Amino acid sequence: MTAPLIAVDDLTIDYGRQPAACHRAVDGVSFDIRPGEVLGLAGESGSGKSTVAYALLARRRPGSRIVSGRILFEGEDILPLPERQVRLLRGGRIGFVPQNPATSLTPSMPVGRQIVETIEIHGVARGAAARRLAEDLLARVHLPEPQALARRYPHQLSGGQQQRVLIAMALACRPRLLVLDEPTTGLDVTTQAQILTLLADIRAEFATAMLYVSHDLAALGRLADRIAVMKDGRLVEIGPTASIVGSPRQPYTRVLLAALPDLDRPPAGVTDDAAKRNGGEGKPLLEIDGLVAAYRGEGLSAIWRRPPPTVRDVSFSIRRGETFALIGESGSGKSTIARAILGLTPHRRGGVRFDGRDLPADARRWQGEWRRRIQIVFQNPDASLNPRHSVAAILGRPLERFFGLRGRDRRLRAAELLESVRLDPAFLDRRPDQLSGGQRQRVAIARALAAEPEVLICDEVLSALDVSVQAEILALLRTLQAERHLTYLFISHDLAVVRWFAQSVGVLHRGEFCALGPVEEVFSPPHHPYTARLLAAVPRISAPDDNAGRPAKAWFGGPARASSTV
Amino acid sequence: MPKLIAFRCLSALATLAVVSVIVFWMVEWLPGDAAERLLGRDVTAAGLAALRDKLQLGIAPWSRYGHWLAGVLSGDLGTSISSGRPVADVLAGPAGNTLLLTGIVLVLYFPLSLGLGVWAAVRQGRPVDLAVQLFTLIGMCLPEYVVAIALTSVFAVKLGWLPPLALIDQAHTFGDLIRTLLLPTVTLTAAMTAYAVRMIRECLIDVLRSGYVDMAHLKGTPPRRVLLRHALPNALGPALNVTALNVAWLTGGIVVVETIFNFPGLGRLLVDAISNKDVPVILSVSLLLTGVYIFCNLVADIGSLVFNPKLRSAR
Repeated sequence: MTAPLIAVDDLTIDYGRQPAACHRAVDGVSFDIRPGEVLGLAGESGSGKSTVAYALLARRRPGSRIVSGRILFEGEDILPLPERQVRLLRGGRIGFVPQNPATSLTPSMPVGRQIVETIEIHGVARGAAARRLAEDLLARVHLPEPQALARRYPHQLSGGQQQRVLIAMALACRPRLLVLDEPTTGLDVTTQAQILTLLADIRAEFATAMLYVSHDLAALGRLADRIAVMKDGRLVEIGPTASIVGSPRQPYTRVLLAALPDLDRPPAGVTDDAAKRNGGEGKPLLEIDGLVAAYRGEGLSAIWRRPPPTVRDVSFSIRRGETFALIGESGSGKSTIARAILGLTPHRRGGVRFDGRDLPADARRWQGEWRRRIQIVFQNPDASLNPRHSVAAILGRPLERFFGLRGRDRRLRAAELLESVRLDPAFLDRRPDQLSGGQRQRVAIARALAAEPEVLICDEVLSALDVSVQAEILALLRTLQAERHLTYLFISHDLAVVRWFAQSVGVLHRGEFCALGPVEEVFSPPHHPYTARLLAAVPRISAPDDNAGRPAKAWFGGPARASSTV
Repeated sequence: MPKLIAFRCLSALATLAVVSVIVFWMVEWLPGDAAERLLGRDVTAAGLAALRDKLQLGIAPWSRYGHWLAGVLSGDLGTSISSGRPVADVLAGPAGNTLLLTGIVLVLYFPLSLGLGVWAAVRQGRPVDLAVQLFTLIGMCLPEYVVAIALTSVFAVKLGWLPPLALIDQAHTFGDLIRTLLLPTVTLTAAMTAYAVRMIRECLIDVLRSGYVDMAHLKGTPPRRVLLRHALPNALGPALNVTALNVAWLTGGIVVVETIFNFPGLGRLLVDAISNKDVPVILSVSLLLTGVYIFCNLVADIGSLVFNPKLRSAR
């Protein structure tokens, strides 16, 4: 057995200064990574996995304090090293790929310049040589036209391209270890699959060891040799990927695995028989006919220049009690459709009929009842709940607006609403920041329910949440639908979720449907090519994918592949 | 970008035209006219009539405005009613003085606000930061005339170190010049810098918490470079807008401060001209100040385009 490249020994990290009021984020964690090995670190948010990832670069997150432990990189403890030597490690021998590519590149600097900077700081090359090296790196992560791309600013790149730039930056000095902190979490399914493939290629060519932090066991299964599972700061299980995924010993690991949405297997408590699910009844409740929607341009040029529509000629209908899913990659027009139905995009053509009546394109001209009967839950509860309002005030507003409830009645009704989303009524006096992400999303759902709607539009309501929380929210939505006979327009990019949750599905590609119909039909062959691509991109739980172990392909210098234009 | 500049220049001309109309009519509506102001109380009706005739005050206001406008378009600012000299001559001296004063203020303003703002941000929560925050808060709260009077009573009246009046015309040596200008400069700089320091501090603290600053550290960038190359350029955009507001304030602030210190600049000229109802001078000075204001805003907007590539490609 070879000596470990990096060994974490009994690492303990606290948040907070006072010993009495501190929170133990990492508690006696030990593991090691051998040269060329990929270790997956799984766990939910708050489990301390990112704090561990930062510690491998000898960086403390704000407010944290390393209580004890050692981190031996190539035999040397890096935690007590002086700042100057630590800087040589970071970006030099240990590369880092962050969670959120959109906020991790300096907006005022061209991306090529940022890679060149890394190269120059570590003295690998200077000037023109450094620029050539940077372009070479951009080509290696399959970015098209590296020379032109190097001169572009971060905001001119897509999320997938930004993440490729960051991976190129991490590779700039040929590190021996790559630390990846949820590198695909903010990305689309297809982009995510491409990044995973890229990482497998890099690993095969450079034999770089990796610590891959993720809450997604399916993604880890594709890449990791071994997986470690963290819960509440402790390492609960570590072992070869096949045995963790195939026969987990710890109950918590089993919970994580069971919560993963799976295309081939319905979640617990849901039968495969779609006919048994409430398929909706009678005539359509919501009919969308030839919808075309565009965003208004900005500034003076909006007067003479119309932007191309983001949604082009989309038609579908939803029956009462049915769940209709809209899927597609980001930018495909999913949310625009939701906004157009709600009357939030006045530049709309085509008809939206609700319960047999035409809805005006501008919600300001809606009749009062319509606004109550159609409600929406947004993607990110952090952004959609007013942080200064208590839960009682958040729920009280629609109750007052639609039903004229005040004082004690309103509070009682708000408490009932909390119970209906399975939250403790004691939460009424809390503010959103005193709740967890899943609890916040429950409050957002309760707020929508306060209006006693018939149609509930769920705009990516799961994507800001952890996998196990996602499963809970989905179960809640199912129960609510049965209890209240709700009609859902469910917007998601997660095909595995949609497969078992919706009856009908529309697959959006660049503002148009490329597939539309019952879930079974759309998801079973023959597929439309785009649907097939989306389906293929869904990570499945299985023992290490043949991707991970496959021999190095001759992709360096070879022709750019189709997948490179993320 | 050239399109933007051309558009902004056109709208600047329109703004100037509107300002001139508003100012002209506001002065017109003030009771009394220039003849009464010039001749004082003990005057005969015949004397008034003669002077009005000489100054052409009898003509309808619109045609006087049109006459003035035609003159301006052909490069003639008109004649000052109170002194009888061409407005361009009347303006030259005070404009130079004001330019000197505001120039010194601006030269101090940029390094001071940048330096203090960055210093406070990187020492967030430490004594330096708290002291900077306290002083800028005081600077923001006190109106400039209070600061001016306070400074005068301490340094000029009580201690006698500096002259209470900034009579720049009587300054013969360079030392005199400095002593004369010190109090007005400090007054104006204090008020302007306070806002900018706080803005730069706030923005920089936000940026220092951002993902890209974290990333810059994690790729081994030296701290100084992280601050100067990654953080600062992204924190300056909002500060530039504050600077534009500050310069706008400065065009008004000099009127107050020049009057208090009796500084012979455009501000005092404007106040004198208004009390004399010297319409051509009022119009010229207010248009000059408006023009400076619009120009500074344009410069600030172009500046934020330079610092923010996102805005640049959106155009």
